[in-house]
Amino acid sequence: MELTEIGKSYRRLDYQTKVTGRAQYLADMNVPGMCHGKILRSPYAHARIRKIDASKALNVPGVVAVLTRDDILHDEGIEPYYGPVFKDQTIVAVEKVRHVGDPVAAVAALSVDAAEMALGLIEVDYEELPTVLDVHESLKPNAILVHDSVKLPSSGFADLAEIKPVEGTNICTHFKLNRGDIQKGFAEADHIFEDTFTLPATQHSFLETHACIASAEPGGRITVWATTQNPFVVRTQLANIFKVPVSKVRIIVPYLGGGYGGKVYPKVEPITVALAQKAGRPVRVVLSREEVFYTITKHAAAIRMKTGVKNDGTLIARECEIHLDTGAYAEIGPRVAKKSGYTAAGPYRIPNLKIDSYSVYTNKPPAGAFRGFGVSQSAWAVESQMDIIAAALKIDPLELRKKNGYNEGDKFVTEETLRAVGLKQCLDEVATAIGWGSGETGRDGDTEKKENIRRGKGVACMIKATITPSISSAVVKLNEDASLSIYAGTVEMGQGSETVLAQIAGKELGIPLGNIQVLGVDTDVVPYDLTTSSSRSTFHMGKAVQLAAQDLQRQLKQIVATEYHVPEEKISFADGKVRLPEAQIAYAEVMFKRFGMQGGTLIGEGQVKTSTKDEFGEKSTSAFWFLAAGAAEVEVDVDTGKFKLVKYATAVDVGKALNPLGCRQQLAGAAITGIGQAMFEEIAYDNGQLINPNLVDYVLPSLGDMPPVIEPICVEVPDRNGPFGAKGIGESSLIPVAPAIANAIYNAVGVRIKDLPIKAEKIYLALENRKS
Amino acid sequence: MKKAISLRVNGLERSAEAEPRLTLLDLVREQFGLTGAKLGCDIQVCGACTVLLDGKPVSACSFLAVDADGCEVLTIEGLSDKDKLHPLQDAFMEFGALQCGYCTSGFILTAKALLDEHSHPSEQQIRDYLAGNFCRCGCYQEIMQAVKEVSGKA
Amino acid sequence: MKNFDYLEPSTVAEACALLKERAGDAKVFAGGSHLTILMKQGLYQPKTLVNIKKIPELKGIQFDSTEGFKIGALVTHRELETSALVREKLPVLCEAEREVANIRVRNMGTIGGNLASGEPLTDLSQIFIALDGRLEILGSNGHRTIAVEELFLDFYTTSLAEDEIIARVVLPPLLRPSGIEYIRFSSSSVVDKPCAGVAVRFTLDKEVVQTARVVLGCVGPTPVRARQAEASLTGKKISLELAAAAGKIASQGCSPTDDLRGSEHYKRAIIGTLVKRAALKAYERALGK
Repeated sequence: MELTEIGKSYRRLDYQTKVTGRAQYLADMNVPGMCHGKILRSPYAHARIRKIDASKALNVPGVVAVLTRDDILHDEGIEPYYGPVFKDQTIVAVEKVRHVGDPVAAVAALSVDAAEMALGLIEVDYEELPTVLDVHESLKPNAILVHDSVKLPSSGFADLAEIKPVEGTNICTHFKLNRGDIQKGFAEADHIFEDTFTLPATQHSFLETHACIASAEPGGRITVWATTQNPFVVRTQLANIFKVPVSKVRIIVPYLGGGYGGKVYPKVEPITVALAQKAGRPVRVVLSREEVFYTITKHAAAIRMKTGVKNDGTLIARECEIHLDTGAYAEIGPRVAKKSGYTAAGPYRIPNLKIDSYSVYTNKPPAGAFRGFGVSQSAWAVESQMDIIAAALKIDPLELRKKNGYNEGDKFVTEETLRAVGLKQCLDEVATAIGWGSGETGRDGDTEKKENIRRGKGVACMIKATITPSISSAVVKLNEDASLSIYAGTVEMGQGSETVLAQIAGKELGIPLGNIQVLGVDTDVVPYDLTTSSSRSTFHMGKAVQLAAQDLQRQLKQIVATEYHVPEEKISFADGKVRLPEAQIAYAEVMFKRFGMQGGTLIGEGQVKTSTKDEFGEKSTSAFWFLAAGAAEVEVDVDTGKFKLVKYATAVDVGKALNPLGCRQQLAGAAITGIGQAMFEEIAYDNGQLINPNLVDYVLPSLGDMPPVIEPICVEVPDRNGPFGAKGIGESSLIPVAPAIANAIYNAVGVRIKDLPIKAEKIYLALENRKS
Repeated sequence: MKKAISLRVNGLERSAEAEPRLTLLDLVREQFGLTGAKLGCDIQVCGACTVLLDGKPVSACSFLAVDADGCEVLTIEGLSDKDKLHPLQDAFMEFGALQCGYCTSGFILTAKALLDEHSHPSEQQIRDYLAGNFCRCGCYQEIMQAVKEVSGKA
Repeated sequence: MKNFDYLEPSTVAEACALLKERAGDAKVFAGGSHLTILMKQGLYQPKTLVNIKKIPELKGIQFDSTEGFKIGALVTHRELETSALVREKLPVLCEAEREVANIRVRNMGTIGGNLASGEPLTDLSQIFIALDGRLEILGSNGHRTIAVEELFLDFYTTSLAEDEIIARVVLPPLLRPSGIEYIRFSSSSVVDKPCAGVAVRFTLDKEVVQTARVVLGCVGPTPVRARQAEASLTGKKISLELAAAAGKIASQGCSPTDDLRGSEHYKRAIIGTLVKRAALKAYERALGK
């Protein structure tokens, strides 16, 4: 077998099981004795629960357990309040419901049918309350409060330690960032631009809905199979809720059918465990498509951006107010506020800043993590306004970005030094790919020249951080035949992490890929990993695996020194073997020598823990930075406002493309979600009710909507700390899509759309307004 | 009341007792243990539940099992013969035409139906056929490449 | 879905008798595209479904030069889309079918089911009306024939009685020279339901329009003929200005509703543009270009 390389597009390790339909996802699994759970949800956006009577439900044949707030509140063994930042969620509603779809009760039964029938017999007496249905309403003085008070955690994420809600208001988080002197900055500006940009709530729409199987054994052991991206966080939360040591909670995560941030932090796990405890047997809950819309969304936002610019295009001041609609529960809203605040200056040097970013409660389903969160909101504003500035000053939008864009060694808004900054390279790559500055685009020429059709090109770029501080640990186990097992808590949700981790270990140790097994995620078995999100796994877990492999190598060296009586300095490794001055020894041979038989195990361990200071003692808001750019070419029909994408190019600085095909997949894939967010997707509400919680009326991008070419380009500016220089890939490519398209439309027909999605009607109306 | 039905699933004669409301998806998943077809949207738009019925792609989530009486059903599990994979399965792996894998069974079966109907489809024909299968991970480009590769070799 | 009785008659007479017997609680079931959605959402819970898929006389596409096309109610969208006969004689139908829903729905959904659902966001009815199509309807009291336009009463409401089944669609042959165009407009994804759909058909005498049909779909509870627009085009040779003016007339005369796919204002504007474009294309085809 050949040695493992990095920078090679190996066929992914999870592919064979997936193309044959053998891969098991949560909803495919059964455990012995399992029954089915269903959730009763509030029909009101805001209401007090006067009374719940579930007695009739219990009488339905096949019903095993019914769960209401009485169980949550009166059980000594349950701490009802939880949440990733603030403990403002409960397993089921206790005093009131705060959004349509808020869980009120649950039933476990021998069949889904019986469970549904029982749900229909639970009588809930609601007292409707006035609602706050958007941020504007929520922020009015004397507005109805979604939460009268919010519990803070005793300890939580290090990066959110000082975040507190604003008492007596619906402000869940107010993040501030000030730099320089904003008044002076505006005074020195030659031009001031002020614009407001908006975007709606959208849904992750993974094809696999949230699901969970929970089993609560006598003695307190809780076993959970969960569709979660961060099993260790969920484990901690469940341990807190059900008042058991973390060691008593086991979370097993199979392959996920997509995550995109919608499966982080507790979702259906607490309610499933509570049901399982009450039922005294395992329970499986699988959400319907509609229920997913009530469970988690992406933050809608309104961003007011005021920017001061010199005549030559230098950005010198920015004041920005961001309002994020966090829905009824905080979820990770506080971090979204922080992230959008940090990136409100974009990837540009702006000396004077006043940024206020708010996550605000409303009576709508909770908003939380969504691929690229915080940045996709701010970048929509930042990158749209850059082109507004460019047009006014008659500067090429690409040149304006390059003029102000970060270079290696520049200071971020937090005054920390930026290293490994591939921004300009990304911009240049997409500009070349889209044929920037020329009429020719390299398209396949199948559109006839018509007088109602206009073409245009647009570009956008971004900077993003990764969650810091954070922790990843990995263990590698060398088996007696020198095959390797990798224990890592990274969840394989389609991003190809399994394969990349195997490649890293394989390269480090010289073991062929076919001899490497990455174990499934089981918190009983794999060591702690904070989360599979924030595009962090290649860097953090990849590094942990690399360190673990190196740890293993050190042990092999020690063993060889002892067993073969060779000084350590004369021992090296190459081509998967141990090299001595006079000989080469295969690992299996070393193992045999060490253990005296074909048996035994060597274990290597690696840990990565990033902190708020880097190795230079400097502040570190992010262990590394993501830089990316995108360019779009569109064709607009001025008679209808409808446009199509002729081409899209996306470039991401990945540090090092460990698996180039895997990188390109992620770049193109994220861009496609970006296309959906830019052109079609929005959750529609009518008085707090969701109008389109289904995949017919919530419109996803189809294969038929794709441009003939989406060109993914991997730029490599290696990071000094990443494994082989690698950084991260998952989210970056999504972020520039919407502004690049809006900029292309402006280039084509001269109208500026400031509200997502960029629908044909909006373009049509803007054109109509311009005529009159 | 249940109706006795018999059908061929992946080449094997199978029989079942089906209530009229039982969907073909529930039949193959729950009763026959063939979990490759997935529930995605429950209203025929996403394609994750696609199976071939007498060679034609249908949404199993909205197809009554009783209507499959006497029919030939092909699920993803029936496509490969032990270790011998169908050329589409190979091509999907080769071109990276899947990430999370949830849409994959549906896409491969739909592509098979396409190639059975047109062995050398045009780009537009491939798009028209596959436009009704969603991939949220965004593998559309790679899927097109994989299907073109197989049709080119046919 | 809740339980139901599933009855499977083998003749139309049997089917109508069952529908009459269980009137109020029974529905005709063919492809199920429309009904399964309603049943899963709990919006409709019939005690009985009458499966008509095993009735041979409801199947098949026939054509002869005097009567034109006879399309059985059980013909699926996909059968229509891929029929060589239809492609030869009425390619506009194939083109329209190509864009309906997705391949799976087209494999199962039937023409009869599509019409009987009264679904406003659909395409075929516009084309059928433009062709002066008729429906042969069978009930327990006998049969009747109506113009396709007379089927639709309101959103999801047709003039079919409880015991009636659409047997076939009859599309009389067009006098020559004639030309027809159908344009389906989606304001978002290509696989989304249409925002608007316009069919225009001209039958000429030399180069002058003798018969004009302008049918607007998706912009009201039912498909409607834009009769004023039709009148403005009749007896004329079609120019760009005339087509645009007809578009304006049609646009002003329709009553679209605001929904997820467009506001009333926008849909009116789209209708204007679609009518103009379809008129020019239909005329071009009629002239034999």
